[in-house]
Amino acid sequence: MKKFLAVVKREYVQRVRAKMFIVSTILLPMVMSLFGIVPALIISIDTGSPMRVAIVDQTGKMFDQLNVAMFNEAGQQPESANPPRGRVFGNFSLEKVDASGKSTDQIRNDLDRRLRDKEIDGYLILPPDVLDHGQVEFFNRNPGDVMSRRMLQSALNRAVREQRLIEAKVDTKTRQGLFQPVELEAVKIGATGKERDSGGSFALVFGIGFVMYLAILMYGQIILGAVIEEKETRIAEILFSSVKPFALMMGKLVGVSLVALTQLAIWGLAFSAFALYGVGFLASRGLRANIPGIPFSHFIYFGLFFLLGYFIYATIYALVGSMVTTAQEGGQLAMPIILILVISFYLFFPVSRSPDSSFSFWVSMIPFSAPVAMLVRIVTQTPPFWQIALSLLIGFSSVLLIMWIASRVYRVGMLMYGKRASIPEAWRWARQA
Amino acid sequence: MAASEITVKLDGVSKSFGDFTAVKELSLAVRAGRVFGLLGPNGAGKSTTIRMIVNITAPDSGSISIFGRKIDAQLQDRIGYLPEERGLYRRMKVVDQLRFFAELKNVRGKAIDAKIDEWLARVKLSEWKNKRSMELSKGMQQKIQFITSVIHDPDLLILDEPFSGLDPINVELLKEVVLDLKRAGKTIIFSTHQMEVAEKICDDICLLNKSQKVFEGSLREIKRSFGRNSVAVRCEGGDGVLDDPALVSKLVRHVDEAQALLAEGADAQVLLKRLIASGAVIGKFEMVEPSLNDIFITKVTEAA
Repeated sequence: MKKFLAVVKREYVQRVRAKMFIVSTILLPMVMSLFGIVPALIISIDTGSPMRVAIVDQTGKMFDQLNVAMFNEAGQQPESANPPRGRVFGNFSLEKVDASGKSTDQIRNDLDRRLRDKEIDGYLILPPDVLDHGQVEFFNRNPGDVMSRRMLQSALNRAVREQRLIEAKVDTKTRQGLFQPVELEAVKIGATGKERDSGGSFALVFGIGFVMYLAILMYGQIILGAVIEEKETRIAEILFSSVKPFALMMGKLVGVSLVALTQLAIWGLAFSAFALYGVGFLASRGLRANIPGIPFSHFIYFGLFFLLGYFIYATIYALVGSMVTTAQEGGQLAMPIILILVISFYLFFPVSRSPDSSFSFWVSMIPFSAPVAMLVRIVTQTPPFWQIALSLLIGFSSVLLIMWIASRVYRVGMLMYGKRASIPEAWRWARQA
Repeated sequence: MAASEITVKLDGVSKSFGDFTAVKELSLAVRAGRVFGLLGPNGAGKSTTIRMIVNITAPDSGSISIFGRKIDAQLQDRIGYLPEERGLYRRMKVVDQLRFFAELKNVRGKAIDAKIDEWLARVKLSEWKNKRSMELSKGMQQKIQFITSVIHDPDLLILDEPFSGLDPINVELLKEVVLDLKRAGKTIIFSTHQMEVAEKICDDICLLNKSQKVFEGSLREIKRSFGRNSVAVRCEGGDGVLDDPALVSKLVRHVDEAQALLAEGADAQVLLKRLIASGAVIGKFEMVEPSLNDIFITKVTEAA
């Protein structure tokens, strides 16, 4: 036990002290937020003047409707009946073309010239029968501008719908009432009665699954490397004359995992601090953030299943590490692990649809899918306690079993330097060691 | 011999890997407080034997006892082991590594720091204490590796090819350390295929060849039993005489002298007379003991 702790201590201290750890702890959140913020910034870059669109309204009554619709579309303001005419909203400026006394061809020639001279960026022709057939042509120089096209389309839809209702003699009040959206509020009927849950705990489980996924992707390779380290540096034999392979492997697994948890805890605390600050800030502005009411027992389950999920995959990386001689080989062999991880993550959806089906039961017992599946079941229809306990028992026993196999494979593999084990060989080694 | 004087005892030990027999029916006894040489060419089964002694692999059959007991975790802490395949953590400071290896032998606390300083001074690496091992030369790393095997003050020290790759000055330094440890009452098992090195520090030897024991006993005794049937000669001329198979069974020419192993029944005096008669100018003619290498070759051919 003391030797096990010595291994844990070495792994932990050496790694936490390393510059890599400090740099990645600080840098990764920055990089992540850059990935989050930069694309949004780039997309929203305003490349200059708004798009000038000329409207040829052959119905004679659509321009105003379109103007209003465009305004609502761009500003996402509450419905407003009378926006100032001709004003620029969003990225558009609309111009009404006087079509009286000209043929369609004349108007088009005229507008085509203006388009070429870059006086306008595009024009719409609303034919007289637009309310019946709903077909509008948009002429422009840049058909690749998908965003603007989508916005125009949406505004046109609104305008036409509105106008059709007017023609059907539906009064203003009814019209507004027609489009009043319905709010769907989920009320969970649990053992203790009704609970109002706006999906907060559900989102939390999704978040836990995601963090687990990230932690495994980040630290799986490190565990692999840690297991191979003694083989590459040829220290393994010295160690094995002092410490049992199982203690060594467990020590490495636990040591690296503590590093992972340290890093996650630092990020978690930083994030919570920001979040609390954010909530306080919103509150001071009169907005209340909804903190979902989650029973305390759920937090314990979250913690346990997070650890299970992390360890079950981490041990697979350790097993792979015990079979190979270099980190590169290990990387290739580890690919299927990622696949299993992704599949079990997507089980989130079928399990959440029918949390008490026998399918959900079984996937919440299989160690590889249990962490996500069981957490989903817990927050949807909490299964009986024995199922949760059984799932944890199977899971953590599997962790120990896999580590035991890994240590056997490791020991025999070490005695045959430079040889990579195939899976049948690894199995034989595990039995004979 | 009393059982208490035996540190390591192997009894009919065999070990195979698949179809390959690494060690076959090996029995040997390592006496306390002596340097025991486990000798033989590459692939003779030395490393496998040692791995069984330090409990890295278990024998297929036969028994091993250390300090009169079957090996267990507690006994492991009394053993220091320097394997042939050895290394250091590249990014770890020398002092941290030594402390770690000591902890793995259940030695911890303040006392260990003094020990580390003492050993580093001993191998003249004190100023490298806080350097990472990747900054050390290969020879320096090897001396650090040696310290890892003795830092916990073991009663039994097992060294597998400890001097390979070291320069003569460092070989001399470590040899002195090993002999000091012996004087301090430690038992040392020394495995090598370099007979010249073994000859200088071993009290007892065990010769292994092709997984089997060829000979075991005290180095003195075996040399005596071979008698002084070897002659070191430095002379000009007389080549025909030294090549006579009736007198010399084997002749090894070095740069300025030759070593002649006398043929069965041949007399050194006859050889000397014949050399003088042939007109050779003799600079040196000395009866010498056979080298361990010669003994080994003779023993292996005898066994075959």
